Amino acid sequence: MKSLGVILLVATAVASAHAQNQWTLTQSSITWHITHPVHEVEGTSHAAKGKGNCSAGTCDFLIAVPLNTFSSGDTNRDLHMLQTVRGAQFPMVVVRTHLPQSELTAPTVHADLEIQFAGQTAHYSNVPFTRTQHGADVEIAGTIPATCSDFKIDRPSFLTIPIHNEIPVKVDLTWHPQ
Amino acid sequence: MRTITVQRCATALTGLLLLSPFAVAQSAATATPITTTASSSEIAALPDAPVPVASQSAPQASQPQTSAPQQSTPQTTPPAQGNQPSLSDLGFSQEQTQANAQLQARLNQRTHDLKVHQTLGLITLAPLVATIAVSGGATQKHDRNTPGATPVEPSSAGVDLHAALGSTTVAMYAATAWYAIRAPKIPGTKPKGAIRLHRDLVWIHGPGMVLTPILGAMALHQENNNEKIHGIASAHAVVAWTTVLAYTASAVSISWPLHLKFWEHQ
Repeated sequence: MKSLGVILLVATAVASAHAQNQWTLTQSSITWHITHPVHEVEGTSHAAKGKGNCSAGTCDFLIAVPLNTFSSGDTNRDLHMLQTVRGAQFPMVVVRTHLPQSELTAPTVHADLEIQFAGQTAHYSNVPFTRTQHGADVEIAGTIPATCSDFKIDRPSFLTIPIHNEIPVKVDLTWHPQ
Repeated sequence: MRTITVQRCATALTGLLLLSPFAVAQSAATATPITTTASSSEIAALPDAPVPVASQSAPQASQPQTSAPQQSTPQTTPPAQGNQPSLSDLGFSQEQTQANAQLQARLNQRTHDLKVHQTLGLITLAPLVATIAVSGGATQKHDRNTPGATPVEPSSAGVDLHAALGSTTVAMYAATAWYAIRAPKIPGTKPKGAIRLHRDLVWIHGPGMVLTPILGAMALHQENNNEKIHGIASAHAVVAWTTVLAYTASAVSISWPLHLKFWEHQ
């Protein structure tokens, strides 16, 4: 009877540890921002999906979002964005990060990101994200300092003036442990 | 001289009549749109993501490591390595993740055609403004201080210049419309935002571009017959101004809202 109790205790502990080792993205808001002398435009998607696996003290996260789910409120502009970033040829933005599990409990998470976008892969190191606990869920928010040149995107122009090279991407992701 | 001008106008109008109804109908159908999952009301309701503190204090910390990113092949689902989740774990449909070269080609062609459309549309403003500027030289002058006096006829040169610039405007308008018409449509997209007003205004300036020269030719014909301009021909100026305003509004609407920040460095 005693040994059965120990087994149950261990099994519960293992199950609990396993549960906290997997994360699923439940809510997301990803927003690109472009600046032009006569325009400030944002496009947002809420269609990102993501998973995180943690083991041996490290975690691997994967977040992906289809490019055609970004909306700036103007379909003409959204189609132009899709064309410019080669969105039909490379329809997904894929972000990968690998970080120590201990980072997940810090108020500010510093992540090294690998981003596949527009047929290019760029790496951003030490990107800061604020972390907020909402019950069991964790909200991660921050800005990725992306640029057009990082992904070899020909900057669109209006009245012969191109947009700024900087296209910061604001992310707000809510993760649920499983 | 006037007879020759009337003939020129009639020739230009014949060409316009062949082009314009098609242009008007097709331009409206050109409305370009997109598939979206988030409505603008949803976007408006969202709070801004907090700006990371560390990015302000140490902006160099998050610069990309590689200045020359690697070229990758069209997206497929890469296999998971060890503990890493894979794209196939996320539950996207194959349609969402599959590269579509044909669609990319259509998007490229669409962008090309609409860039030409935009350029021609802006250039068309020049003869349009010039036509208005010289319109005073193509109308009868009445001496208001002498009631009953015979109106002073416009010079042939003034009428010819106005007609030539008007014809140029119409021809360039037709070319502008043609590039909007031929731009490939992207299936599954619904027009939203400024493009809707830009497209809807076609129903005003399109017929206006057809009617204005017709009414101008009618007015000129009446003048040549020493008649006072009467009937529908007297609406030439009103129709022309309505067309100009609708066309200008259409050009501005596609860029609306404007945020002037010329003083900022790029």
